[in-house]
Amino acid sequence: MAELKYIEGYPENIRKEIDKVTKTREKRINYTPPAMTMKERDEVLRIHPDYAPGGKRELQVGPNKGNLAPNEVADLLEAYPLIEQDEVNISQVDYDTDILIIGGGLAGTSAALWANDSGIATERILLTNKLRHGDANSIMAEGGTQAADREVDSVMKHYIDTIGGGHFENKPDVARALVEDAPLIMKWLCELGAIFDREEGGDLAEKLAGGLSVKRMHSCRDYTGLEEFRVLRDEFRTREIPYLEHYPAIELLTDGDRVTGAVLWNLETGEYKIVRAKATIIATGGYGRLHIRGFPTTNHYGATFDGVVLAYRVGAKLRDIDAVQYHPTGAAYPIQIVGYLLTEKLRGSGAQPVNADGEAFVYPLEPRDVEASAIIRECYVRNKGIVTPTGLRGVWLDTPLIEIKNGKGYIEKAFPGMIRMYKRYDIDIRKDPVLVFPTLHYQNGGIETDPAGRTNVDGLWVAGEVSGGVHGKNRLMGNSTLDCLVFGRRAGMSTAEYVKAHKGENKIALDHVKRYVKNLEQAGVKCTRRAPIILPDYRGKAALARMIDVF
Amino acid sequence: MNPTNTKETKSTSSGNMKFPYYPGCTLKTTAKNFENSAIATARALGVELLEIPRWNCCGTVFSLAQDDLIHHVASVRNFIRVQEMNDYGLVKNENRLVTLCSMCFNTLKSTNRRMKENAEDLQKINELMYREEDYKGNVEVLHFLELLKSLGYEKIREKVTKPLKDLNIAPYYGCMILRPKEIAIDDPEDPTIQKDILEALGVSVIDTPYKKVCCGSYQTVKDKYIVAELAYDILSHARKKGAEALTTVCPLCAFNLDQRQQAVKEKHPDFEEMPVFYITQLMTIAFGMDKDVFGFEQNYVDPRPLLKSKSLIED
Amino acid sequence: MEDNKSPIMDRIAEANKAATTGIDAKDIENWITIHIMGKAYKVPADLTILTAMEYAGYKFVRGVGCRQGFCGACATVFRKKGDYKLQTGMACQTRAEDGMYLVQIPFTPAEKAIYDVTKEPYEASVFIRYYPEVTRCVSCNTCTKACPQDLEVMDYVQAAIRGDFDGLSDISFDCIQCGLCAMRCPAEIVQYHVAQLGRRMFGRYGLGVPDHLRKRVKEITEGKFTDEMNKLVSCSTEELRKIYTEREKEPE
Repeated sequence: MAELKYIEGYPENIRKEIDKVTKTREKRINYTPPAMTMKERDEVLRIHPDYAPGGKRELQVGPNKGNLAPNEVADLLEAYPLIEQDEVNISQVDYDTDILIIGGGLAGTSAALWANDSGIATERILLTNKLRHGDANSIMAEGGTQAADREVDSVMKHYIDTIGGGHFENKPDVARALVEDAPLIMKWLCELGAIFDREEGGDLAEKLAGGLSVKRMHSCRDYTGLEEFRVLRDEFRTREIPYLEHYPAIELLTDGDRVTGAVLWNLETGEYKIVRAKATIIATGGYGRLHIRGFPTTNHYGATFDGVVLAYRVGAKLRDIDAVQYHPTGAAYPIQIVGYLLTEKLRGSGAQPVNADGEAFVYPLEPRDVEASAIIRECYVRNKGIVTPTGLRGVWLDTPLIEIKNGKGYIEKAFPGMIRMYKRYDIDIRKDPVLVFPTLHYQNGGIETDPAGRTNVDGLWVAGEVSGGVHGKNRLMGNSTLDCLVFGRRAGMSTAEYVKAHKGENKIALDHVKRYVKNLEQAGVKCTRRAPIILPDYRGKAALARMIDVF
Repeated sequence: MNPTNTKETKSTSSGNMKFPYYPGCTLKTTAKNFENSAIATARALGVELLEIPRWNCCGTVFSLAQDDLIHHVASVRNFIRVQEMNDYGLVKNENRLVTLCSMCFNTLKSTNRRMKENAEDLQKINELMYREEDYKGNVEVLHFLELLKSLGYEKIREKVTKPLKDLNIAPYYGCMILRPKEIAIDDPEDPTIQKDILEALGVSVIDTPYKKVCCGSYQTVKDKYIVAELAYDILSHARKKGAEALTTVCPLCAFNLDQRQQAVKEKHPDFEEMPVFYITQLMTIAFGMDKDVFGFEQNYVDPRPLLKSKSLIED
Repeated sequence: MEDNKSPIMDRIAEANKAATTGIDAKDIENWITIHIMGKAYKVPADLTILTAMEYAGYKFVRGVGCRQGFCGACATVFRKKGDYKLQTGMACQTRAEDGMYLVQIPFTPAEKAIYDVTKEPYEASVFIRYYPEVTRCVSCNTCTKACPQDLEVMDYVQAAIRGDFDGLSDISFDCIQCGLCAMRCPAEIVQYHVAQLGRRMFGRYGLGVPDHLRKRVKEITEGKFTDEMNKLVSCSTEELRKIYTEREKEPE
């Protein structure tokens, strides 16, 4: 095959297509397609991966038996455990602590800080991480955090936007906690030294985003989650709170119906450790790496649904687990970055989705599921997408519009991460548009909680993406970092109170696992899968085919 | 990198001569009063000191070892910034780099001399810094006092609106602007440059042989009492000769002679405190400037009672 | 069963399978050879170092995190064929090239100082107190050359030395704390920790909490919105839908 000729990052044939975008740009500067009506939304949503047929099935076991779940999710909930009662010796406790936190992203880390602030001594907290402390979706959050702190804004407006975005299926008391705590969280972050984008006079700079009625999005260039997290981690390390890295939890431990710790597994040596805890917080994030419906993902390497798998076995109720969020704008080209996130802040700052004919075909700031569906429709129903050399389809995101609307130099200042990502492939997003297609982004539902982060299981709390209810069927941009910080804090404070009131020795056992296995057998589920999967597998097929497991 | 992007290049009043200016770390922290007063007096004399963009530490001490080139990299990098200021038109054909801190002056000028005299060393450093444009060896390092001298004492005298009459001051030079003699800004044995400036301000200048005796320099970190003894000699001798205060142009000398008076008093209970000025602080008073630029709150021994007693400042 | 199939979803999944299930050799036309810790592997062209190593058979448990250039876990050093320069990059962000030989540095031994930002004075001395080695910087710029984010690392170290918190924060902001600067620094400075301290000081003291935020927190604490929120939370879905559709939108 002849080598493709590249011109500033794009193959010749695609470079030609860009002309149509450039030619129509002038006309589109002052034209934004109208937002869809509720009816139009319902119609386009039919093509959304969540509603397209063939993606889901009914769960056969557990608290949500009979509910629909994506096949990839059902596979893991209907899987056998990695360990069973007789295979591990749980009589020797390696760590005896008050609060065990599983997962060290924004949610887990804030839980630790607030538990400590609520009177739990640092040495009575243990935070464990599957990879390093902070290898989490939190640090990849580019766009921002919502908080209604401007005079024209209010917590009511934030609430309505959140509920509307979630298709009115959010859990009201939990969503209320989210919006009412938001300004407090922002103040806390500022006091800890987080650097948010500011207006000239020192006020917080705020932007619109999909589904927002008011400018409410706070950002730190396009490294918002990274900045928030590294400040929290620095504070966490400064307080010398104990933590473990490369120690995923592979099973919870119970005393009757109460969660009393976890079995951890050293990812490098394979040795397991037993943690006994009075209260356990699961903050393990979401499931992007399950590649639901074969989509690529924006998520980090460890986003494999472990926390929900563990909690479901002890009887934790799930909700909205069928609602998967696909981010409308993942990279569709070049192949090395397919599925990577192009923050919604780009559209919030004026970038338009544009089809192969150079038409702006959708209001740029619809809620994510609507926006994503519109892009899929453009590519696969109306056939107005661009086909990449590897056979993917995408539409243009017209990034040069951002500087036309905000002035020259704006992209460099506001999106250094985006510039960097594309520069590595010789594409200058200030001059040329980029190709985008929806990518698997977020677990909208999860383990059901109350406003304090408590689950229906005694001794078990959850915070962040692993939880369900706060976002209903669809999360808005800027509500996920906020979710982590609000419910991390609440779970930290709530566990602290619980621990102080809780006297007496806890037993630890794996009886619940035995029960769950029995349920699986009774439901006729064969032992072909084990979970949690801990990490996805991307090894080359040729290498895998010849692998011998010796050690 | 385009140096015009940096925020440190402040806008300036038009018409003034523009010089690249190297502050050094101390001028941004404990000697902020030196910098503020120097920039203000320069401006009054028609000179804009333009802080060089992206400057780095001078290297602090000029390494005398023949094979220790790495310690000269820092200085040379700053010279490249001066070239860039010319390239980007921040200054016009102005290769004279003005310094304030004596230590920075000494390090920068010594390094520059070595680069000008030793082409092989210059080439090695240029090759190590392959990301930078080459240093061409054209920069001249100038101490602020030299700049004042080149403007002419008469010009200084013209700007004086409040002559510092009845003020008896002993100028103190220290070592770093006088030694080694190859880089000295004045006669290393009998410098007069401060005396000339002070006289233009109307000061009664007291000459003392201690004006170029070492202040103890970095011994201050190891043992403050070594420095305290030297300070005691320098200050009490000046007092004996009738001086009411000292002037200096070096933040380290200023620290040793001013702040260390606390240690002097521990060892010599009879010792009477004496204010130590940056010479530019006295210039701002004589030029009738606003008291915001005096910066006396950073002086350890408060000079305000003395100045008030001479009716040179108000409350 | 026809109504349980979605041809569009199947096409999307098929087009993405290299990124979601691992690469199949039969789909590849162009190949290169890279040397992972000295061992040669034939891998598809057009991969990053990370995905090339995975193709070769490595399953990562170290040296990988977000896979998108944010977390700093996959620091890698390499040389290219015929080039004396030791180069650095993030494995997930650097294209694998023919003849490259490489090793990962998934961990940086570097001590983070213990301090309380609420009690530190907002001045340059804070750096000297906790990271006195910053003063050993000879401006060699090796850190800058090592930075996979292309930050001017040396410039922010210099900003720290002179107490320029604003400048330090601006220059270092995009730091992903991979540690490559600290591994290369001949003066043994831990640049990324120094920057973290500086940024927190700037955030807390240089920027602080703006008035509008302080005011809103006070309003919430005093219960200004409680009644209205009580009403809103007990609204029926129909009522909420109406409020949502009729709400006014702030212009861009």
